[in-house]
Amino acid sequence: MAGPATILSPTDLRKIANLHVLARQVVEGVCSGLHTSPHKGFSVEFRQHRQYVQGDETRRLDWKVFGKTDRLYIKEYEEETNLRATLLVDASGSMAYAGSGTSKYKYAIQLAACLSYLMLRQADSVGLVTFDKKVREYIPPRSRPSHLQVLLDTLQQTAIGGETELSKVFHQLVPKIHRRGLLIILSDCFGDVPELMKALAHFRHAHHEIIILQIWDPDELEFPFKQWVRFDSLESDTDKRLIDPVQLRATYLENLARFRKELKDGCSRHRIDLVPVTTDKPYAEVLANYLARRMKV
Amino acid sequence: MSFLNLILLGGTAAASIPLIIHLLHRSRYKVVPWAAMHLLDPRHRTQKRRIRLENLLLLLVRCAIPLVLALLMARPVLRGMETLLGAARTSTVILLDNSYSMEVGTKNRTSFIQARDTASQIIRNLGRGSEVAVVMMGGVPGPLLDEPTFNTDRADRQLVKLQTGYGSAATPDSLELAVGTLGKMHEAHRELIVVSDFQKVSWTDGEEPERTRVANLMQQLPVKPRVTFLQIGREDKNNVSVQSLDFSRFLLGVGQKFQVRANLKNHGATAYPNLRVYFRVDGQERSASQVSLEPGEDGQVLFTHTFETAGSHVIAVEADVPDVLKADNSFFASVPVWDRLPVLLVNGNPGGGQLDGETDFLEIALRPYSAVKTTLADLITTTVITPNQLDAKQLKDQRVVVLANVPQLNAKQVTALEDFVRGGGGLLIFPGSRIKTDWYNAKFAGDGKGLFPGRLTALEGSLDDSTPHSAILVQHYDHPALTVFNDPRQGNLATATIRLWYKLAEKAGTTTNDAPFVLARLNNGDPFLVEKKFGDGSIIASSVPCSAEWSNLPMRPFYLPLMQQLVTYLAAKFDPPRNVDIGRPLIAVLPAELTGKSLELTDPLGQKHKLTATNAAGRALVHFADTRLPGLYALDAPTNGPVHFVVNTTRAESDLTQLTAEELKTVAKPWDAKIVKSWDEYHELEQRRRFGREIWRPLLWVLLGLIFAELALAQRVGGVKQ
Repeated sequence: MAGPATILSPTDLRKIANLHVLARQVVEGVCSGLHTSPHKGFSVEFRQHRQYVQGDETRRLDWKVFGKTDRLYIKEYEEETNLRATLLVDASGSMAYAGSGTSKYKYAIQLAACLSYLMLRQADSVGLVTFDKKVREYIPPRSRPSHLQVLLDTLQQTAIGGETELSKVFHQLVPKIHRRGLLIILSDCFGDVPELMKALAHFRHAHHEIIILQIWDPDELEFPFKQWVRFDSLESDTDKRLIDPVQLRATYLENLARFRKELKDGCSRHRIDLVPVTTDKPYAEVLANYLARRMKV
Repeated sequence: MSFLNLILLGGTAAASIPLIIHLLHRSRYKVVPWAAMHLLDPRHRTQKRRIRLENLLLLLVRCAIPLVLALLMARPVLRGMETLLGAARTSTVILLDNSYSMEVGTKNRTSFIQARDTASQIIRNLGRGSEVAVVMMGGVPGPLLDEPTFNTDRADRQLVKLQTGYGSAATPDSLELAVGTLGKMHEAHRELIVVSDFQKVSWTDGEEPERTRVANLMQQLPVKPRVTFLQIGREDKNNVSVQSLDFSRFLLGVGQKFQVRANLKNHGATAYPNLRVYFRVDGQERSASQVSLEPGEDGQVLFTHTFETAGSHVIAVEADVPDVLKADNSFFASVPVWDRLPVLLVNGNPGGGQLDGETDFLEIALRPYSAVKTTLADLITTTVITPNQLDAKQLKDQRVVVLANVPQLNAKQVTALEDFVRGGGGLLIFPGSRIKTDWYNAKFAGDGKGLFPGRLTALEGSLDDSTPHSAILVQHYDHPALTVFNDPRQGNLATATIRLWYKLAEKAGTTTNDAPFVLARLNNGDPFLVEKKFGDGSIIASSVPCSAEWSNLPMRPFYLPLMQQLVTYLAAKFDPPRNVDIGRPLIAVLPAELTGKSLELTDPLGQKHKLTATNAAGRALVHFADTRLPGLYALDAPTNGPVHFVVNTTRAESDLTQLTAEELKTVAKPWDAKIVKSWDEYHELEQRRRFGREIWRPLLWVLLGLIFAELALAQRVGGVKQ
């Protein structure tokens, strides 16, 4: 079984360690400090002792230590918020496209691993859903540190393939993820945009916060082909098209712009964060940028 | 259609190259497993169709580019019926304008040189075995070679030698000659090429009917020629010309004052405020003057000169002006200067006292300086004889004979006089109280064939003062002997009182050249002076005596100039004119001893011509007809030194205005002529006529268009704009 270190390089982990995922809205669970959770002191963990100074509350004195040492110490506790995050990783055939670098799927699971590690380190609950045409794995959110291993194992063991039907899958998932929380979707989102928006609206209706990390290969954005190309569909064996890419490029770029605009408008309408990500950028850098942005909100 | 480079037509196969490349690329594709399949499809069906159409169009354009390029290199030629012509033999007449207006331009590049070179190129480009003739338009139209020739090299060699300055263009005549020449030629394809500057004065509306007549003649030819008007030279009207010279005397003697008036005209739009005009005698500059000529203005300059030696002299007036046409900046004239003019006075009434004789007043009038014994010289010398003394011997060295009141002559005397006049001598006849009218009317007039011009019908008037007298009718005189009296300073002819005069009967309706004509009349309508041509000479008969017997003519101030004018006019007939118009023959009368001798004439180009003197009425006559070239001709006569002739041309062509494009089209219409402006244009026209039209130029534009279309389409299809 591969440990976190096999997926995440130490450099990548160091970059993320200083960031905090800040939930945008009230989630269930006990929290204090920055978070405004309605469930106060649900989970309090001792952190350290500190010498009493004048003005400290006397009720926070550790009388047991005083009895043993005859000195006054204040007990300090770790403040934390429980965030229930579920990573939805697209394992459909379209995610297999690799271009000249990492495949979109590999890039997606690396991002998922980063997020899992980060959130579990903060004692948040992290769940995982892998899917293509249907839900292939569903791991409910847990906050145990050992849960990370489960998640990473699942990600690595998930084979890619099959057609995508995002909207259908998401509709199926709504009853399963019954407690509201953060949904992080890692997908290329290829498919019918209006249907996808309906499914996402369904999630929003269940009070979930949604972040879509839309994974793109640079080839898909630039369409750099010059010679004649036979494009074979990654999701269907029968769909093959022989094309002069030079002549088709204008149409392709036009279609791409329209697709991205529809998606962006839909997400904006439902207050969903859409973050386009290309596989040629270091995943950790992209993730760090995104988290910094969320912190400002 | 045919192709000049047929082999290169194989290049059209290159049209398949884009198609092959297309198919090759299509077959050598790369397989890419692809996710975003839904982005590959055009959104709408129309968009799909548009893309397919654009792609197809692009492929077609790309195939068309090498195809058009190959066609272009193969030099396609559009042919109609001309195919049959090809390099066929033709009969070509080149009508070459060698008039003096073609001198326009710089020394080595005049319009004529351009025209000659163009004609030469035309001849060199004729098909093998073609027939050619060159007709020259200037002066007297004539062919370059005697007959049309198949030897084009010879025609070309002759053409290169040709010089310009052959007078003004005789357009209808030269066209008629060209059409006539075409009619005599042999080949089935005939061409008439008019190479000219198409000057307005040479193609006037006035000659249009004549030109149309010749054009109709051409249309009636069995083989209708193709006509081309090749216009040479550009219009530049900046020109000043010496139009003509007027002389103060008919005859000039040694030591006599001689006035020359030069008439100048500025044809252009440039003003010449200080135009220098030089007067030269025998090549030596004798005086100079200045004249101011505004645009379009006429001007006159007067020069005075006295010749100190007898013989043939040449005077020249030259305007020093920087204009485009030098040929008309000078005007030459040959002036014969006589040491004496012998006049024989036959006195029919010698009289008793002083001035009673019939010729006494006349003698004084003819040699006034001698009469008053001054140092000034009289040109005229007189010899007075009685009628009985008149014979052939007396007439030998005389220039003019005056019969004054001579009653009658015997047959021998009449014959001698007839020979004298026929040979160019002058005869002046005055009546008087002694004349026998019957003899005059019967013998001397000889029913119109004799010397006396007319019939003496009656003696009019009366010596009695009670009867009304007559006078000379003053009018505008056209006769050269009387034109001086158009100027009142020379005296008023009407002041003379004429009491008695003979009525001279006129023959109505006589208009032949030899018929008598009236120079001046009396105020009652009766003739005063009547002239008749007889051979080379002339006779003038007066109806009033030259003495004071019947009138007071000798007392009037005009008597002297009148007698001098009449005598010198008649004497001038003695010698054929030295200044002739272009095309007119040169005639020199020389002493009889030169008869049969060979003499040399030098033409303006310096070429020598051997001429033989023939006998004519006891004198030697030299005749030269080929005066197509204007300028100075010199006849080397062994006894009296050279005799100069000047052949002049009208200065009409000094106005260098050319026909406008529209006018040229109008002129060309009856001829169905094509108009071209240069050899290149003619050559292209000829190529098109003979071989069809080469279409490489439009094809080149098509090719450029296709290249731009390919660029634009490739940008549009490839989405380079985005």
